[in-house]
Amino acid sequence: MTPILLTAYVLVWPVIVAFVLVYLVRAFHGDWLQAKAENRSMI
Amino acid sequence: MQLQQLGTPLTLFLLLLFFGITFFISVSIGKKKENADNYMTAGNNVGIGISAASMTATWIWASSLYASATSGYTYGVSGPIHYGLWGALMILFIYPFGKRIRSLAPKAHTLAEILHARHGQSSQLILAGSNILGSLLSLTSNFIAGGALIAMLSPLSFTAGILMVGSGVLLYTLWSGLRASVLTDFIQVVAMLGAVVIIVPAVFFAAGGTEIFVVGAVNLTAQQSSFFSSDAFMNQGAPYIAAVLAYAIGNQTIAQRLFAVREDMIKRTFVTATIGYGATVIGVGILGVLALYLGIEPLDGDTNNLIPQLASSYLNIGFLSIFFIMIIGSLASTADSDLSALSSIMMADIYGRNLADKDAVNPKRMLLIGRITMIVATIIALYFASNQFNILDLLVLVGAIWGALVFPVIASFYWNKVTNPAFTTSVLVALAVFFPVRFGFIELVGPVAIVSDILAVIGVGVVAGLMAFGFFGGKVARIVAAVVIIGVAPFGIGALHAYPILTASLLAYAVSTILCIAMSWRSDMEFDFSSIAKKTGHFDVATSVAASSNR
Repeated sequence: MTPILLTAYVLVWPVIVAFVLVYLVRAFHGDWLQAKAENRSMI
Repeated sequence: MQLQQLGTPLTLFLLLLFFGITFFISVSIGKKKENADNYMTAGNNVGIGISAASMTATWIWASSLYASATSGYTYGVSGPIHYGLWGALMILFIYPFGKRIRSLAPKAHTLAEILHARHGQSSQLILAGSNILGSLLSLTSNFIAGGALIAMLSPLSFTAGILMVGSGVLLYTLWSGLRASVLTDFIQVVAMLGAVVIIVPAVFFAAGGTEIFVVGAVNLTAQQSSFFSSDAFMNQGAPYIAAVLAYAIGNQTIAQRLFAVREDMIKRTFVTATIGYGATVIGVGILGVLALYLGIEPLDGDTNNLIPQLASSYLNIGFLSIFFIMIIGSLASTADSDLSALSSIMMADIYGRNLADKDAVNPKRMLLIGRITMIVATIIALYFASNQFNILDLLVLVGAIWGALVFPVIASFYWNKVTNPAFTTSVLVALAVFFPVRFGFIELVGPVAIVSDILAVIGVGVVAGLMAFGFFGGKVARIVAAVVIIGVAPFGIGALHAYPILTASLLAYAVSTILCIAMSWRSDMEFDFSSIAKKTGHFDVATSVAASSNR
């Protein structure tokens, strides 16, 4: 395994985590807008 | 290299900030008249943003971050994969079962409550009891992780650390139960995942970047350098697959989120949590691999110190504060889930379905029981934590014990012939076989070893079959199980007994499955699954009606 591939192996996980984070924040925002439109609590 | 500390004022400020925000969120959703059902299920209508974040946060706990790094340090480059990937996939594998369970009992509060409706008291109490033990140990483990972190990164003592973490978590969970738990999970997961995005590259580049792999390659053995390490699979991956499948199926913290999420969002919730958990835990586990390449010796010989040690060695005070919040977020999110799970079990399983008279459940008393449970559980966990037992070992043990429950539980939700005696007997006999093997009371030599290996190979087939069953049904599951048994037998028989921890778990799967099938096969029972929904309805109808009429 070359050092470059190992570097990619280290850094790919934070990138995936960043995508999940963006997805969760957008989904939360969507939930919030929907709850507001329906005049109810999110939870 | 000198270890950097946060100092008492900064540590207290970060704890106050973290628990202050979570407490504020909890207060903001507080209701004068809390509904007992919503306290346990958050209204069965939670959206994808909160539910996916909550499932992710609950599955990621401080010990899993530490254990993944330990696996990386011990087994090299494939170590974090053999921890994080299997843990992540198990969330995915149980989602079809989750959908089935939710369709059978849309308004249930706990898994054990459904078993009560399916079989009766003994099956319910076996599962509820194992969950109480599991959640108490998990709670203790998270308090220990918090105390150790605070003691390492600040001048504050371990005892002060566990007290602050314990009271902080209890404070924001006590009033609103699961509603507070899932909502604060969102904030905690944002902090936690955000920290992973920053911390992992920060440590990597501060420690030398790509150069680490050039200079440090001599520190690794051939097995540690390989992505296909048999050492890593046999000692970490394989036992973990067996334990974590059981853990995911039997754990009330996961089941509780299953009952909370909107029914059409179950799949998306589980898929998101799979990816989020996997990337986070493997990403943090990579820090252990870096420590191995860097030739770092864990402080006091304890591999649990590796991550804080790396962070305090390579990060400046700002990044170290972010790291601190990441670990506190991971342990608080799981600890509040454990408190919610424990309170729900006491409310629904012990009081609602056993102690209270039928149709005479008092929701106010039920809520009081839930809150008292949280307080008592926190005190017990603090007591255990102050004695610093090796909780992780105990917790892995509980996961393995749940191996005895997996097949009977799943079969009970799909096969109408499974009886209460079949369930109870198969679980108890499997446990009776599991314990002596796990703790070495039976020496696995000669004919005993052969019998044990044959059963363990069947156990491998059961695990594979169960994973296939959820997605592809019974026919494919049986084919997969048979193919795996035939494929593994030539290698497993004569060899598996050399791995007693793995063997004990596999025996639990095999024995419970064989007995459950044998005792149910010829039973006359034709259970009507539609009856479960009727027996697992709401307890607090009055408050629900009042709340909807006030809208």
